[in-house]
Amino acid sequence: MSAVGVTPTAVKKNYLTALKEAIFEEMARNPNLVCLGEDIGILGGAFGVTEGLLAEYGTGRVVDMPISEAAIIGAAVGLALNGKAVMAEMQFIDFISCGFDQIVNNLATFHYRTAGEVNMPVVIRGPAGAYGGGALYHSQMNESWFCNSPGIKVICPSTPYDAKGLMKAALRNPDPVLIYEVKELYRRRDLEEVLPVEDYVVPIGKASIRREGTDLTLISYGQTIYHCLTVAEQLAQEGYSVEVIDLRTLVPLDEDAIVESVKKTNRALVVNEAPRTCGFAGEVVARINELAFEHLDAPVLRVTRLDTPVPWAKPLEMFVLPSVESIRATALRLLKF
Amino acid sequence: MRRYTGAPDKRGIGHIVETSLATPATTTIKPRKAKDGEVNLRPQDALTPADRMEMLRQLYLARYFDVRLIKEKKRGRLRGTLYSSHNQEGVIVGSLFALQPQDWISPIHRDMPAFFMKDLKSGWNNPQRMGMSVEAVCAQVWGKADSPGRARDNWSHIGSRAKRIIHSTSMLAGTIPVAAGVAYADRLNGGNAVVVTYNGEGSTAQGVFHEAVNFAAVHKLPVVTIIENNHWAYGTPTRLEYPLEDFAERAKGYGIPGYIADGQDVFEVYDQVSRAVQHAREGNGPSIVECKTFRAYGHGDHDDDRAAKYRPTDVVESGRSRDPLGVCKATLVEMGLLSQADADRYKAENKAAGDVTDDDFPKEIVDYLKIGVEFAINSPLPEANEGGMWVFREGK
Repeated sequence: MSAVGVTPTAVKKNYLTALKEAIFEEMARNPNLVCLGEDIGILGGAFGVTEGLLAEYGTGRVVDMPISEAAIIGAAVGLALNGKAVMAEMQFIDFISCGFDQIVNNLATFHYRTAGEVNMPVVIRGPAGAYGGGALYHSQMNESWFCNSPGIKVICPSTPYDAKGLMKAALRNPDPVLIYEVKELYRRRDLEEVLPVEDYVVPIGKASIRREGTDLTLISYGQTIYHCLTVAEQLAQEGYSVEVIDLRTLVPLDEDAIVESVKKTNRALVVNEAPRTCGFAGEVVARINELAFEHLDAPVLRVTRLDTPVPWAKPLEMFVLPSVESIRATALRLLKF
Repeated sequence: MRRYTGAPDKRGIGHIVETSLATPATTTIKPRKAKDGEVNLRPQDALTPADRMEMLRQLYLARYFDVRLIKEKKRGRLRGTLYSSHNQEGVIVGSLFALQPQDWISPIHRDMPAFFMKDLKSGWNNPQRMGMSVEAVCAQVWGKADSPGRARDNWSHIGSRAKRIIHSTSMLAGTIPVAAGVAYADRLNGGNAVVVTYNGEGSTAQGVFHEAVNFAAVHKLPVVTIIENNHWAYGTPTRLEYPLEDFAERAKGYGIPGYIADGQDVFEVYDQVSRAVQHAREGNGPSIVECKTFRAYGHGDHDDDRAAKYRPTDVVESGRSRDPLGVCKATLVEMGLLSQADADRYKAENKAAGDVTDDDFPKEIVDYLKIGVEFAINSPLPEANEGGMWVFREGK
């Protein structure tokens, strides 16, 4: 409640609300934007990201799709070919595998195949990530499949501000953009923040430095950012100055931010919750070796999920995923190298 | 094998005609004249004599294009694989003739002539017509820089937003959901375009076929799914692809009409596709049109000499015997639109590609393609560094 002439206390918003605001604002801004997905209309989305969208924009632009991921992506390609922009929701990012061919062979290659004649302003987004007991098929971080498929930009925001700004940037981008929304962050109270009233975007392809430091760079994205921040705080109490970089965008990768940090700290540890072999952490390690080898005082290491699926029972799940303890132990190994 | 012809009944399925087992359609359909009081019994009854003669010309053009490519390929002048449309041209010509300029198509590997034959009705040399030029398509076949996609992907993997041709990939049936999306966008824009997709019967076993046809049916999208049923998916016969005698029966499961045409009869293809297109344009939604046909050669030119492993010689001879050029000419002679002497003047039908010569085709056809081939030969190869371009519209 606010009295006349008194500025109301700004409302803090969570990650999910930030995503929702971005979609609503872009639907209002771009009459050519069409939303496709399972249960996104009548239900408002499995998590409520599109709650109210159908009432606002009608069945023409908000389409409750059959359980048909390949048709969702294929139809998105057709809509884009015929002049529309599309937001396609995967109910869980795990289900994206059911639309895999349409994404990697059709959507991602369209601009390339047509020598630039046709671009594909299609955003695919969905809830992702483990640590919540979702088990094998509601916990995945399968981003490396798509980072390895040229033609798709890949994003993973970790804060409400970034979630809204990157979603808006993606919905305005002329190319396919895949957004990994971290569902464990959707409603986390401690992340809630006041979002700008004015329109803003967070540029695709720019990392953010979440904590400055001089002794070691922790590079991560998604919810393991918070594990890294905790480790940095713990190590600060032991006298180490640890920098934390949130990549935010995986493709295209902000190499400059990584290299600048490594030049300063001379040590780097990459953390993500995807499996180890051919995971994106390995790609970051390779880039550092290619671009900043002469600045390194220690090998670049990784902390990732084990090369396993994500199991259900809590001790099993925590065993295979990166933890504050495992990140801290590896960080100390590097700091003492 | 049962074969359906003629007008759809209440279920959207045509009359049943019994034919011999295991061979493609062999019954010649005689055009039926309208009785007093009956107008336009079939869509083809509204065709003018000039229309019918134009369809014959287009059959010659499609055949000549294919024959020329087969010869060029054998001489080692083309890269990749040629998927011959020989003996299946009735499906291409008959279906394209049923469309309006604003309509979209998605041809696949065996429909190479469709890229430049779309909207030929608007003038073979009319640059404004809603089809690619024969020069552009030849440049693509030759892998040159002037192809619509600058030769970045091969053969049939081209398209044009401007000409309303959907770009395909090698993943079969994958253009049907794209067609549905194109149709959905057209509806949002207030358009009245119909989107026609071409598919082999083998591709119907793909999951995306079901997903896309179902989605189109739910939203009554104007998507016509043509099945070019040539009875073998590469080397696998239909009995190992789906458990139906007529694939179009499956339409019932989607709550949409299934039409069946003798794919060797260009006029019957025109009939059934016209019905499907009308059904779509009037807002009644998608349909499946099964065109029963027979490919003259192997799956691709790489397996011509292995095709005998899965297609017995007598079946091949029988299938080839109903050549769409010959069937069309016979109809035109019977209707009195073509003299027997004129029909015999250019005998391209029932001949293997290696046995026909330019003299078997009207000179205008030979000349038309000659311009395209010369353009392709003179077009440069793309610059090597283009291989790294156009991954994204914005940024690298």
